[in-house]
Amino acid sequence: MLCPLCGCEFDETDHSCLSECPMAAIQGCNLICCPNCGYQMVDESKSGAAKLLRRLLHPPGDPGKKEPTP
Amino acid sequence: MTRFPIIPSLEGDVHVILVGNPNVGKSALFGALTGRYVEISNFPGTTVELSTGHTDGMPLVDTPGIQSLHARSDDERVTRDILLERGGSLVLQVADARNLRRSLLLTMQLAELDRPLLLDVNMVDEARERGIQVDVVHLEQLLGAQVVPTVAVTGEGIETLRSRFQTARPVRHRVRYDAAIEEAVARLAPLLEGRDGDERAIALMILAGDAELAARCGGAHRAEIEALVARTAERYPRPLHFVLTGQRLRAVDELVAAVVRHPETRQAHAGETLGRLALHPVWGVAVLIAVLALFYLFVGRLGAGVCVNWMEKVFFGRGVNPLATWLAGFIPVPLVRDLLVGEYGLITMALTYGIAIVLPIVLTFFIAFGLLEDSGYLPRLAVMMDRPFKALGLNGKAVLPMVLGLGCDTMATMTTRILETRKDRLMVTLLLALGVPCSAQLGVIMGMTAYLPPAAIVVWGAVVTGVMFAVGWAASRVIPGERSDFILELPPIRRPQLVNIVIKTVARLEWYLKEVLPLFALGTLLLFVLDRTGALHLLERWAAPLVEGGLGLPRATTASFIVGFLRRDYGAAGLFALARAGALSVPQVLVSLVVITLFVPCVANVLVIAREHGTKVAFWVVGFVFPFAFAVGVLLHFGLLVFGVHF
Repeated sequence: MLCPLCGCEFDETDHSCLSECPMAAIQGCNLICCPNCGYQMVDESKSGAAKLLRRLLHPPGDPGKKEPTP
Repeated sequence: MTRFPIIPSLEGDVHVILVGNPNVGKSALFGALTGRYVEISNFPGTTVELSTGHTDGMPLVDTPGIQSLHARSDDERVTRDILLERGGSLVLQVADARNLRRSLLLTMQLAELDRPLLLDVNMVDEARERGIQVDVVHLEQLLGAQVVPTVAVTGEGIETLRSRFQTARPVRHRVRYDAAIEEAVARLAPLLEGRDGDERAIALMILAGDAELAARCGGAHRAEIEALVARTAERYPRPLHFVLTGQRLRAVDELVAAVVRHPETRQAHAGETLGRLALHPVWGVAVLIAVLALFYLFVGRLGAGVCVNWMEKVFFGRGVNPLATWLAGFIPVPLVRDLLVGEYGLITMALTYGIAIVLPIVLTFFIAFGLLEDSGYLPRLAVMMDRPFKALGLNGKAVLPMVLGLGCDTMATMTTRILETRKDRLMVTLLLALGVPCSAQLGVIMGMTAYLPPAAIVVWGAVVTGVMFAVGWAASRVIPGERSDFILELPPIRRPQLVNIVIKTVARLEWYLKEVLPLFALGTLLLFVLDRTGALHLLERWAAPLVEGGLGLPRATTASFIVGFLRRDYGAAGLFALARAGALSVPQVLVSLVVITLFVPCVANVLVIAREHGTKVAFWVVGFVFPFAFAVGVLLHFGLLVFGVHF
């Protein structure tokens, strides 16, 4: 994943903000924090709608399945 | 020799100290060098964790990722102390082949320590994929130290790196500073007590503002050292650490130009020009105004106008609400029926506000915000913000949490931890709570501007930014603190990819609806209970002198302000609905919009303030922000009346 603020590339699986935010304790939160600058983004891998859309836009066998980095 | 804190597990000689910027693959290299056995301990007196292990029988310590040896954070202090304490050790610096400029800036500082240094240029595979070529042999010749390319995660180059441990030597290439700095270093170095070979590095750190080192190494000469630093600082218009970094960067840029080749494309060239324009003191403002105007047209006109109109009048007005009312007719208990489809019903209010009003606005806002993010404009906006903040005397580092607030205020409040003093942290926390809406809230607030003519939007923008700057200015006078610079790596301007924007927007919408709909339901339930018990009527009557007399708003807006305490955007959605219904005039929309913009963002934000700064501070912030927001609204209302402003 590429941080839109500082350009740092990181693995989103290791940088969930989940444990930090009180909202997460109440109802769950899909934000991830950039390990370099702290900018918050939505973790697309945890969004069912985004996964479905990605499958529709890049069906299996499509060489463009790998999400292009911005 | 001046002693520094010692890590218990590292008693004795340390032979390899792993140093590097954050996210350069230090941990992966540490794992590759040490195998699985790792000991983790805290550095004495801090919460900074250090991993230690052995490589080829030699002790090895993995230091926290740092940007420089100018110790402003605990991480930087710990790394500095380990380097200074372990004089006989080998420094193994991990550099990022994709961004060698940032790493070489640290190399130049490490070189000043005059220790054997081995430079590991890591992630060369990813650099190659991007078409970036690093001439390692030439870099080795220029630095005069050994350089090894690696891919730590696959183990490529690790054996070569190990084989160079015994032959590593100090970096020959040194930064030559201007005459005034070199003269100050020459005078400072002999005054340092008990050092052995690293006087130049310590003198430069002290010149950069490391008062702790001045106290530790100055001994009887401390006052003399401080006077020398002050005299040197007087010769420059900018802080000395900024001057030193600037001169180091010039040396680094020469090295990078000689050893790094980037792929040249027409798009990259156009991106560079756009990037420079966006940062220009004059053109940058023009770009900012153009971006805001496009935002207004897209979010305000299309999202809050056309889309909300269709959703509210057609989808909900003719579909969802009549169907829900018809279905609710089968419910025999009137209380339950009203709870679902009454004036404060979960379907007719919470769902209608959430889906019919907020959804189209945040949808268009998230698309526009995604374009901003993926284009690389956002960090440039942060740099542009840095200038006026700094002119007010605000700590430059404080800009980052303010920018992060656009993502989520709650998380941004946590990032105030990066600020050095408690006073700085409190000040930025207050400003975040006062006037920085998160992206979703900004969307709803921007949507409300659809009911304002351009002149009124300018007044809204001027009042909100004016308030922010006034509070920031007042706080900076009361809270001097240390001024530090805002350092942000600027990624290149890029062409956003449509697929990414669509997927990102959908993921954001899902997250937003999951988070806000329960709170919207809670707020509606609160209003329903207040209405049924008659408390809402009482509250409206009690608040009338403020809402009607002070703000000049209709009594019905009280309910919006009540739910605004839960989430600022829910309050804004309520005001938006009133504006759409024609219940608010243009000045009333303006006044209510200013008040709701200055509200505390959400309940979660208050909880985080309490956790980060204590309950007392949370009460203090809430106790200041809400009355202050209303006070500004009252002043604006009477200001418009007194000056006879009509839009």
